[in-house]
Amino acid sequence: MDTFELKVAQQDGRLAVLEVAGYINNEAGEAIAAEARRLLENGHRSLLLDLAATRIINSIGISLLLEVLEQVLEVRGTLAFCSLSPSIAKTFQIMGLAQYTQIHPDRALALTSLAATP
Amino acid sequence: MSRTHRLRLVLPRAPHAELLAGAAVEELGLQAGFPRDTLEEVKLAVVEACLNALEYGNGDVEVELVAHDDRVEARVIDHGPGFDPRRVERPSLDTKLHAQRKRGWGLELMRRLMDLVEVESRPGSTTVRMVRRRGGG
Repeated sequence: MDTFELKVAQQDGRLAVLEVAGYINNEAGEAIAAEARRLLENGHRSLLLDLAATRIINSIGISLLLEVLEQVLEVRGTLAFCSLSPSIAKTFQIMGLAQYTQIHPDRALALTSLAATP
Repeated sequence: MSRTHRLRLVLPRAPHAELLAGAAVEELGLQAGFPRDTLEEVKLAVVEACLNALEYGNGDVEVELVAHDDRVEARVIDHGPGFDPRRVERPSLDTKLHAQRKRGWGLELMRRLMDLVEVESRPGSTTVRMVRRRGGG
């Protein structure tokens, strides 16, 4: 599936879950960054990006995810990802993203971990 | 008996054109019996090469794909001003995170996802040749 869709699936106190579907390129990355900015401005401090329906992220999309990470770190929040395809997991591993973010196999485990994150 | 699957395409200068090359990698690789996870990585590397070619090249961007029994090869050719790959800095997350410009991951991803990446570039012609062996990466 390559058509991009972004949905805020859950907003609960500090936490917000964004469901991302389709190809993450420049336009999609900008949409994610704008939504993340809005959520942080509204007081959310833990953002979970569920990428279950995303098969490919290009390098421009990646650079925009780094903008999201920078915003989250500025407010001392937590950025987490879950349900990565193997190639996206490898991309994140190449970048070293696990150093600054949480990466979980699925949403349930991510939510459990984020609930325990101060 | 070994079989070689070949495909050549010229990308249109249209939104998401790079995905056409990615879809071609998947199609050709599946026909040649490569694992889907391997092809997803080759696809990403080819998409990155095409993005660079579409962004910096002029005129047509050509993509040649060949699936052998033991490897997939891709060539992405553009007709832009060219560049010196030795001068492309390797990105680091620590640096990029606090930098104004967070881009610059494309070549690094290609190199790490593929077994071989060669760049031949001069004014008017850049060819990126990439190879991924079966079981490599």
